Amino acid sequence: MAELATSVKKVIKSKMFALIMLLAMLTTFMQFGTDGMFLHPINIRTILDMMIITGMLTIGSAMLLISGALDLSMGAVGTMAGMLFAVLLRYYGVHWSVAFLICLALAAMFGVVNAILVNFARFPAFIATLGMAFVAEGVSFLFAGGANISLSDPFMRALATGRFMNNTIPFSILILLVFFIVYGLILSKTKFGRQIYLVGGNPHASRLVGINPRKISFILFINSSMLGAIAGIMFNSRVAAATTLGITERQFFGLIAAILGGVSFGGGTGGLGGAFVGLLIFSAFGNGMFLLGVDSFWNQAMFGMLLLVSMAFDYLRTVGWKNIIGRRSL
Amino acid sequence: MANYVEFNNIKKGFAGVQALDDISFRVEGGRVCALMGENGAGKSTLLKILSGDYIADEGNILIDGKPVVFSSPHGAIKASISVIYQERQLVPGLSVMENIFIEDLPTKGIRIDKAALRSKTQAILNEFELDFSPSEIVGKLSVAHQQMVEIMKAYRRNSNIIAFDEPTAPLSEHEINTLFKVIRKLKSDGKVIIYVSHRMAEIFQISDDIVVLKDGNLVCELKSDETNELELIKAMVGRDIGDTYAELKRNDKIGEVVLEVRHLETDDVHDINLTLRKGEILGFAGLVGAGRTELARAIFAADPIKSGEILLEGKPVRFKSPKDAINAGLALCPEDRKEQGLVLERTISNNVSSAVLSKVRTGPFLSKQKEQKLANDAVKMYSIKTPTIEKQCIELSGGNQQKVILGRWTSEQVVTKVLILDEPTKGIDVGAKAEIYQTVCDFAKAGLAVIFISSELTEVINLADRIIVMAEGRITGTMTRQQATEENVLKLAMHH
Amino acid sequence: MDKSVTVKKSDGRLGRIVSYVLNHKVSLLVVITIIVVSFFQTMNPNFLREQNILIMLIITSFIGFLGLGVGLLLISGQIDLSTGAVTVMSAVLVALLINAGIPWPLAALITLVFGAVAGAITAFLVNGLGMMSFIATIGMMSVWSGLALVVTRGNPITINDPGFWALSDIRFFDTIPLLFVILLFLVVLYGFMLSQTKFGRSIYIVGGNKNAARLAGINPKRVQNILFINAGAISALCGILFASNFRRGDPVAITLGMDAITAAVLGGISFAGGAGGTGGFLVGLLLLSFFNNGLNISGVGPYWQTFARGAILIAALLLDYLRSRQREKVIRAGTAEKTAAKSK
Repeated sequence: MAELATSVKKVIKSKMFALIMLLAMLTTFMQFGTDGMFLHPINIRTILDMMIITGMLTIGSAMLLISGALDLSMGAVGTMAGMLFAVLLRYYGVHWSVAFLICLALAAMFGVVNAILVNFARFPAFIATLGMAFVAEGVSFLFAGGANISLSDPFMRALATGRFMNNTIPFSILILLVFFIVYGLILSKTKFGRQIYLVGGNPHASRLVGINPRKISFILFINSSMLGAIAGIMFNSRVAAATTLGITERQFFGLIAAILGGVSFGGGTGGLGGAFVGLLIFSAFGNGMFLLGVDSFWNQAMFGMLLLVSMAFDYLRTVGWKNIIGRRSL
Repeated sequence: MANYVEFNNIKKGFAGVQALDDISFRVEGGRVCALMGENGAGKSTLLKILSGDYIADEGNILIDGKPVVFSSPHGAIKASISVIYQERQLVPGLSVMENIFIEDLPTKGIRIDKAALRSKTQAILNEFELDFSPSEIVGKLSVAHQQMVEIMKAYRRNSNIIAFDEPTAPLSEHEINTLFKVIRKLKSDGKVIIYVSHRMAEIFQISDDIVVLKDGNLVCELKSDETNELELIKAMVGRDIGDTYAELKRNDKIGEVVLEVRHLETDDVHDINLTLRKGEILGFAGLVGAGRTELARAIFAADPIKSGEILLEGKPVRFKSPKDAINAGLALCPEDRKEQGLVLERTISNNVSSAVLSKVRTGPFLSKQKEQKLANDAVKMYSIKTPTIEKQCIELSGGNQQKVILGRWTSEQVVTKVLILDEPTKGIDVGAKAEIYQTVCDFAKAGLAVIFISSELTEVINLADRIIVMAEGRITGTMTRQQATEENVLKLAMHH
Repeated sequence: MDKSVTVKKSDGRLGRIVSYVLNHKVSLLVVITIIVVSFFQTMNPNFLREQNILIMLIITSFIGFLGLGVGLLLISGQIDLSTGAVTVMSAVLVALLINAGIPWPLAALITLVFGAVAGAITAFLVNGLGMMSFIATIGMMSVWSGLALVVTRGNPITINDPGFWALSDIRFFDTIPLLFVILLFLVVLYGFMLSQTKFGRSIYIVGGNKNAARLAGINPKRVQNILFINAGAISALCGILFASNFRRGDPVAITLGMDAITAAVLGGISFAGGAGGTGGFLVGLLLLSFFNNGLNISGVGPYWQTFARGAILIAALLLDYLRSRQREKVIRAGTAEKTAAKSK
């Protein structure tokens, strides 16, 4: 009996529980606020439809944050890749699969440059990746001269917008779930995943146990760029056009979702399970605001505030944790 | 003008280790008091209490009989106390004169009075016989000159109490002479001067009184002109070796050479030659900064090597990274457990398995069972005190943290041939120390070659089979346990 | 024994050239600027025409205001990425206030107060809640540019107050706009403050060695808070003048904030804190403006300019990195530096 009580207590105290409670509260609030519109199947489908874009960015951000870095160029690289994808398909008649690979390769190059700037020139990650975001923006202008290109590859469009089971569940959400499960497994169950946590927790110590922090950093920066590219291509396939704005505006969405989901800014803590719940909270919040009739002009300001609030929560978490330690040492 | 400063029953402990235990003594104005003791004797802690960095657990400091309390280093400066540390407190981007007058830049209206600043600084520079310009940027000066700026900064404050923490370490002969001239002048002004140094010759040259600390206790107070080097070393070493070492079950079968280092050069160590045999404990003695940690890191490929050769079991090896070194059978338990040794927020089991992640897998995935077995073995083997292996390392005591690191390198999954222990007993209480000594002997018995680096002389010369003494990046002597005495090791370590 | 001597010896001729260049950066910048100017002048003779210079000076002023705010913060070891957004919000705010019938001097004053409050909020997030300044200011950037969109519903607000327009129409010697004169005045003022006053020096002390600052009785957080507020207020000033110049408050985000950081780093204000000054900054600023404008009038497309913006920022940072590595070499033995680096 006592055992049950302690395990219940443990569950209640866990981060995951807090997150799910938050999600539940948000859902309840929205459900009542919108007179039941929020949990209507059609609306749920709407939420799920767009989740793959932010979801890809969330995975990339979470992995990098856990290793103690971050990438602010994911959105711009995604836009650039999406633009190249459209150009290749439309003007050069390249098959979508080949174009996809070329785009991933280009994105990977941006990841390599980010990693070089951070690991060798020792730039702070935020400024290196911010600089590269500008470069990526410039390159995507370059591809199409600032024009919008329509994109209508049937396969990609089906992938991005298709649904099955009576037109209810989008394909894309399944793809995203597969990504979350695969990355989640890598992070929590493999040697490489463990090394990410160790490097994020203490790069000096991890080097002395035979881990190469630079190698980890390179892989993760390349990974985040490629995930950004996938997000960009999926977005363009969804809206059937490549625009110069693309997903650049969503630069911080993934970061916010990951931090909301308990991935700490300091590195070494959090996981993809939490990040997924963070993503749900983020998506529900955005959609709920829309349903509540909040002016879309509010979006940007809202997301800024959401970022700050999630950062403040992250801070309170670490401070709470530090307080416990402080009391112990006294 | 202060006539004396008195330390009154000062006590200070850190996480169960008593760094200072009831220290009381008095320093008169117009005299230079040398504070002596081995590494870890408590000198730095005492200076940090004087400078307001630490607050004493018990006891207080009296100036002219009046107790003084300050809550910050700035408060100590205001109370006319200046402490000059080895770590320079300079702003590299500012000029010499701005650094020297950092707390009270002279002003004319709202402007800083640069002319006055320059002439005041020039006067001090002249007094110190230094020929760089007052407007030189500090970051561009040599290390020795930076140290002189730090000293001038304290001198300029005209504090009544001035403490020097190894001020001469980066200085050359000429600068030391001018420093001594200045100290003598301060002395004739009636200032209270506390001087910490490891250099014997200097102590007798400059000091009037000597206070000797050991393990946080005050051993004796001596007059410089009534004592000599030998007596002083004896006092520093003390004679309180317990039976701990006699009871150790040692290894007596020393095998063939495992590791050989030839003419190793790095930025910090020079021309290092050594051999290490199977089952042998090779002790490294020396003062802080002698280059022992740097040597260990270079052998482990954590820092780059300039030239020289390393042979493992007779074959030359060239490690590119710690990973190569680990694969070849080397293991390093670093000096700074928190910064270099552990990932503190991770669990015991995560830390134990961190070096052998490939070995705790089933298929492509990490196996929880295998990892837990590894951790449980370590907990059992070293009797790590913890309710569960899923506890975060940050919540463990220093001794238990050290055991987690040892557990990492001695699990059945690692093939360690050479184990490098850098200050394994630092910050650990006496009971846990004895356990670690026996563990080290057991390693040797199991056929490991052990490098044992410690700043505690007693420990090195009683535990190691052979002792290498280092000073200023070079090996200054090698001897067997039988040959070694604390006196001759300390003498070699202070070799200058 | 003496480490610095060996360092000097081991530097070859190339090392000496590099160190000379890095040590005489301002003069180097001037040379580069001259080269850039001559290049664009040969490419396009309109480059140094009065009309183009006028345009250039105006843009330079806007970047310059923000650069002064963020440059001071950089010296103190912090950063503010929200200056551009505060500018946009301020331009919108001043436009709304004037259109509401408030006399423009009062509207401008209120807007300046708004800027200071925006800076104070950032300061609280960074020094009160312990957020890293770059992420906190990214958040604030979103908030302010978002609010600007909210209050205007995305449409520019036209200002109908000739008195307010006149502010930016004033020309000295028939060419130099008042804007640029204000910038020069502020550069001199801030330059004086940085190099001649106690507060100015304390900014370097805070950015160079926090420990030394505390020993000297300086409260690093207080200094940084003042600088955040200053950056907010000067961004608001920029917004007011922006609105005056274009005769409207435009909610569309502009990238001035990033250009300002580039100009500051290019001009020798170290990203790591504790080094740089307004003299170098002014040259860096002019170089950046000449470069941007040169690309513009040489018919280089906007995409190349976006690309160039990122590339110049990275190049400036690389230069800064080389310089700070140079400095590090000399104080390598200083353990204080090592521990400082570690604690980061």
